[in-house]
Amino acid sequence: MKTTAKIAVIILTGLVWAVPAASQDKGGLVKKQNSLNSEYSLAKDSNFYFVLDFLGRKLELRVRGMVLRSWSFQSMRFWGRPELSGNVELVRKTALRAPERIVIKPGGNAEKVEGAPAPVAKPTGTDPAEFNLEALELKDMPKKFSFDFDNGLRILVKTKKAASGGPVGSMREAWGWYVDLPLRNLFGAPAGTGLSELELTFDNEKDAQSIYWHFFDGIKGIIL
Amino acid sequence: MFVKRILIAAVALAYLGFLAVLGAAYLVGLKQASAWPPAGAGRAIADKDLPKVEKNVQQLEKRMSGLLPKGLYIVIDTAENRLYVKNGKDVVRTAVVSCGSGVVLEESGGKQRKWVFDTPRGEFSIKSKINNPYWVKPDWAFIEEGESIPKGLEDRIEAGTLGDYALGFGQGFFIHGTLYTRLLGRNVTHGCVRVGDEDLKAIFKAVPIGAKIYIY
Repeated sequence: MKTTAKIAVIILTGLVWAVPAASQDKGGLVKKQNSLNSEYSLAKDSNFYFVLDFLGRKLELRVRGMVLRSWSFQSMRFWGRPELSGNVELVRKTALRAPERIVIKPGGNAEKVEGAPAPVAKPTGTDPAEFNLEALELKDMPKKFSFDFDNGLRILVKTKKAASGGPVGSMREAWGWYVDLPLRNLFGAPAGTGLSELELTFDNEKDAQSIYWHFFDGIKGIIL
Repeated sequence: MFVKRILIAAVALAYLGFLAVLGAAYLVGLKQASAWPPAGAGRAIADKDLPKVEKNVQQLEKRMSGLLPKGLYIVIDTAENRLYVKNGKDVVRTAVVSCGSGVVLEESGGKQRKWVFDTPRGEFSIKSKINNPYWVKPDWAFIEEGESIPKGLEDRIEAGTLGDYALGFGQGFFIHGTLYTRLLGRNVTHGCVRVGDEDLKAIFKAVPIGAKIYIY
């Protein structure tokens, strides 16, 4: 009798576990189908596109289904309308200190946006990586910036270092995130213009800089 | 004294009002977050449709893998100044290169033309392979040096600058050698991709005409 009861308990437990697992599998399969459909519509053209995978905590640059670069983010937080997933297009990238190109006008006045003469190396040490070049390089890219997408989503990208701008910077950031954003969201919500803001923090500052480098206006992507 | 109390009461009221509004903002935020994902999203699938969805997923995966370039191809990261020769998902060779400087050159007089020295980004293919290439200096090369633009073609030709090999990928852009090997790994070029001698030789010998190049 006891054995029968034990078996019944085991079977019932199995059923309780199995039903949600099966439904999760189904959900996962449909999700996979949708994401593959979205990606195929982008990958069949020769253009670069990106995939932002929340659960996988990674952002990838791809072409033809092939991953060119992958960046893992350390943390993320979000405010506003959560309808993020789907196909998006980058409308604008904004940085407080956007990099500027060096303009050379031989015969005229060399300017620096405006710099000086042609890209000539000025050795400051023995390591070629230390040469100060008249060029736009990865190290000139901002470590904190935002992307605005056509569906109203704004993604703020930053590095841990860029985030800690001293006590004043931290206070300003906390005010922005915990007071300003909720209030803007509140007053925009009834009109349907509530914001949708996602913040991604990267450990490595080069990651943020290379994202700025590789993401150009008009790039399309998928948010999973 | 009375005025002071009124002022304190007004400040306290304003502060409480602010807290109330902020509280409402957080409630709205929570409500929005709890509404996601939308009910039934990704779950509405009947058992009888399951095989169909599975088949669809398999087909899509097959189509996706069919998009990958066949044989050897080149991938260039302009930010890191790295070139990868790949076969499928495997990296066959990695080389340190120099890509475009991003500098803008403006012609002061004459036609007041403008050049941006970026390495073009996108999908390309190798269109030509040249042994012992000569550089036919374009107008900007003279303007940059503050020299007058020559009329004859022979005055534009320069030997040795591009190394032993060049692989053209259209619009006047090449993967070629360099005399300035110390600057490999930095963004210094006028748009072409400069490669060290050994790597250039290996790439030139391995990668055929028509092979894809992805520059990002």
